[in-house]
Amino acid sequence: MRNQLETCIDAVNQVVLGKEHAVRLAMACLLARGHLLIEDLPGMGKTTLSHALAQVLGLNYQRIQFTSDLLPGDILGTSVFDRETGQFVFHAGPIFTELLLADEINRAMPKSQSALLEAMEEGQVTIEGATRPLPEPFFVIATQNPVSQGGTFNLPESQLDRFLMRLSLGYPNANAERQLLQGGARRQLLNQLQPLIERAVLLAAQQQVSEVRASEALISYVLRLVEATRTHAQLAFGLSPRGSLALLAAAKAWAFLAGRDYVIPEDVQVVLPAVVSHRLREQNGPPGLASAAVVQSLLTDVPAL
Amino acid sequence: MNAAHIRKVAEDIPRISLVWLLVAQVLVIIPHVLHVPLWLLGLWLGCAVWRVQVFRMRVPFPNSWVKAALMLSSGFAVYLSRGSLVGLDAAVALLITAFILKLLEMRTRRDALVLIFLGFFAVVTSYLFADGLLAALYSILPVIALLAALLGLQQSSFAAQPLLTLKLASRLFAQAIPLMVLLFVLFPRLEPLWSLPQAKEQGTVGLSSSMTPGDLADLGQSSALAFRARFDGAIPAQSQLYWRALTLPHFDGRSWSISQRLATQEPQWQAQGEALSYSIIMQPSTQPWLFALDVGSSEQADIRLMSDFRLQRSTPVNRAYQYQATSWPKALRQPQLSQMQQHEFLQLPRAGNPQTRDWAQTLRQQYPDDNALVAGLLQHFNQQPYHYTLKSPLLGKDSVDEFLFSSRRGFCAHYAGAMVFTLRAAGIPSRVVAGYLGGETNQAGQFVQVRQFDAHAWVEYWQLGQGWRSVDPTFQVAPERIERGVQDALKDEVDLFQGDFLSPLRYQHIAWINQLRMSWERLNHSWQTQILGYQRERQQAWLKQWFGQVDWQTIGLFLVLSAALIIALLVLWMFKPWQRQSDPLQRIVNEFQRVLQRRGFTRQTGEGLRSFWQRIRTDLPEEQQPAVIRFIELYEQQQYAQQLPDLVVLRRALAEIKK
Repeated sequence: MRNQLETCIDAVNQVVLGKEHAVRLAMACLLARGHLLIEDLPGMGKTTLSHALAQVLGLNYQRIQFTSDLLPGDILGTSVFDRETGQFVFHAGPIFTELLLADEINRAMPKSQSALLEAMEEGQVTIEGATRPLPEPFFVIATQNPVSQGGTFNLPESQLDRFLMRLSLGYPNANAERQLLQGGARRQLLNQLQPLIERAVLLAAQQQVSEVRASEALISYVLRLVEATRTHAQLAFGLSPRGSLALLAAAKAWAFLAGRDYVIPEDVQVVLPAVVSHRLREQNGPPGLASAAVVQSLLTDVPAL
Repeated sequence: MNAAHIRKVAEDIPRISLVWLLVAQVLVIIPHVLHVPLWLLGLWLGCAVWRVQVFRMRVPFPNSWVKAALMLSSGFAVYLSRGSLVGLDAAVALLITAFILKLLEMRTRRDALVLIFLGFFAVVTSYLFADGLLAALYSILPVIALLAALLGLQQSSFAAQPLLTLKLASRLFAQAIPLMVLLFVLFPRLEPLWSLPQAKEQGTVGLSSSMTPGDLADLGQSSALAFRARFDGAIPAQSQLYWRALTLPHFDGRSWSISQRLATQEPQWQAQGEALSYSIIMQPSTQPWLFALDVGSSEQADIRLMSDFRLQRSTPVNRAYQYQATSWPKALRQPQLSQMQQHEFLQLPRAGNPQTRDWAQTLRQQYPDDNALVAGLLQHFNQQPYHYTLKSPLLGKDSVDEFLFSSRRGFCAHYAGAMVFTLRAAGIPSRVVAGYLGGETNQAGQFVQVRQFDAHAWVEYWQLGQGWRSVDPTFQVAPERIERGVQDALKDEVDLFQGDFLSPLRYQHIAWINQLRMSWERLNHSWQTQILGYQRERQQAWLKQWFGQVDWQTIGLFLVLSAALIIALLVLWMFKPWQRQSDPLQRIVNEFQRVLQRRGFTRQTGEGLRSFWQRIRTDLPEEQQPAVIRFIELYEQQQYAQQLPDLVVLRRALAEIKK
């Protein structure tokens, strides 16, 4: 099972060059049943990464390109009057899928953004009084441009909190970029990707990830970290309990990918920046952004043992 | 394995316990060696070897017949060796025998418990024979060994490090010391419900109620301690220290003895001059009489001054005994004597020593005045060739005649006896006084130490109106005896400490040995006064000083509360909750970090062991790497993978690193 997952990761790495760590984190995020937010400048490969993941995991997926005129109904679906039957018929929106790719999510207005909220947290949507369940599994991989870019609406903290991890890819190194320039078109490569894992295996892997052991000592470490965010002088507020659950879940997934059935402090440390930075806010800083320095200070100052 | 077998294994005596039990037995028996028959040592050796062989499964346990035979024969052997099965000596011998034989019967932990508690009891019985500082310090050894055996019983049969158990036992012992001190100070001193029998050996040294001249000479060879005296003021000169023990008015032709009749009368005396105040700690003498300078008195309720001016206690002194006394050296003693009393002090055997009787008559005619006659007699001893020696020849039937006119060699008792005989023959009421003279002054400790060889006898004669007057004929013969002590007077007689080469008294001319000896005596004195002397009265006085009112309920409450406090402090100290080191795994990791730190690798606070390893692995010498990573993996498995912690494996891995 782990071999299949490793194969998936390798395949994605063929397409997204030089981002092995981010790819592995993204895989861990999905194994922990979490939604993934990829944030970076346009053209850094966000969309490529999300599409590649969707392809290799073999899930059926839908893609929504978020724009400023996107309406909630465009995401969830609408009821249309059928003249022949004389009744309203529900036309499911693109959200009814296993993997939803939400491109440039912060370009939509808050109203449309929050249409995703319930779906992401509870795996169901309520439209016109009727609650409809979403398929299992259900992932959202969203991409967004940094807040400084024009034509963006900031995601509120409540929405950011729904994402297990936020990754940013950054510039590739020179070597990877050389390969990129020499290689074929990315779009082409994406289409050539084959599903490498069965749905049942993925579900089983998710189940196993949730069963990875977190010992007393490890949980104490997580609690120390969480406590440190809450008392940190540079942070306006600390992690919520949902945040600490997310941290532990992500650490379990990382441990699983490392081939262990128990979590060690290093697992927590690896996933920590991706899991907590979008949930924290520095004093006088923008919401949803804790600087790398603050996160690093958590890693160095909180006793690991 | 069925249930019965499991139970049997659980009941078996672990190896460590057996080891310490055997060691403890030796340590317990050692102080008894002088008091028990020597064949008991052989018995112990046999039983110990047998028990060890049983443990090694080479031989079976003895069956009931063998045990019964052993028990009966040992009991009979004790009877043969001691002549009785009752009495302290025999009882202790029986106790030790049982202590040894129980070894062969020891199958289960319960039996071992019995043996251990018997051992504790035997440690206590050794105090019956010796209660000195050394004995007390020594008994720490068997107690710790017994504790180790007790601990060993609780350990697994696979535990294999007896020294660890001993360390733990020593720690337990050390932790019990504050409680011991508390109980010593506060626990009520109860009067014993029955009187303790006296060990036989102790009664052999000391004055007895009758005195044959040779007796004191025998005593003169013993350097055993008689008593120590601490003066409240300056210590008087040696020649003033005439310690009276007994007054011996009765002569039967060979020996002088006390008179029961006189003892019942009230003493008559008038205090004059300055008083001396001092406290005395005497060694057990098995006799009721005490030692005091003339005329002594004591406030203590159980001490009485007898009509012949000796101090006497209501019960014999069987344990070291401390009392406070005051003396008036210039007191006027019994200025009036009735006719009957005078007659008593003129008593002589009907016949015997005719030469002396004749000589007394001659003297009487020569000196009509009593005092002049006494002076003349003393002058006679001074001028004639008398010799002061421990080695006087054996005297025949008319011992006084032989001594005065032919042998002329003798110890103080010869001179005192001969003088009183002569005085009585001349019609002057007189008597022999036995006691001690002088003693060794310990400058550091400000006390006088009197040994058996300081035993002395002198003379008292009575004059109407002047009462009893003391004279010492020995002074005329050997003044150095009075002024510098018996050792100086007899330094030519090499046999004073014959066979006692180890006695530090032999080496008084070597300054540092003497110094050492004096310090040791001082320590012993403190032990006796402060520890052994802390009896009922002292305790009550002390408690009164601290608590105002001696109320046993308050004391009991205080005792319980202090004990609880001490235990609480001990618990705090042992578990150190402020250090949060309760997790043994954490302690081992701390040690691991210390080991690596000494080699120059320090783990950062936020670093897990694995990232620590990844950081240092390139710098770590290659031969150390496997041990370190093995430890880290074991630690991770135990700490994070929720395997059952196995500290032993982890410690072993740590030891690998330390190599």
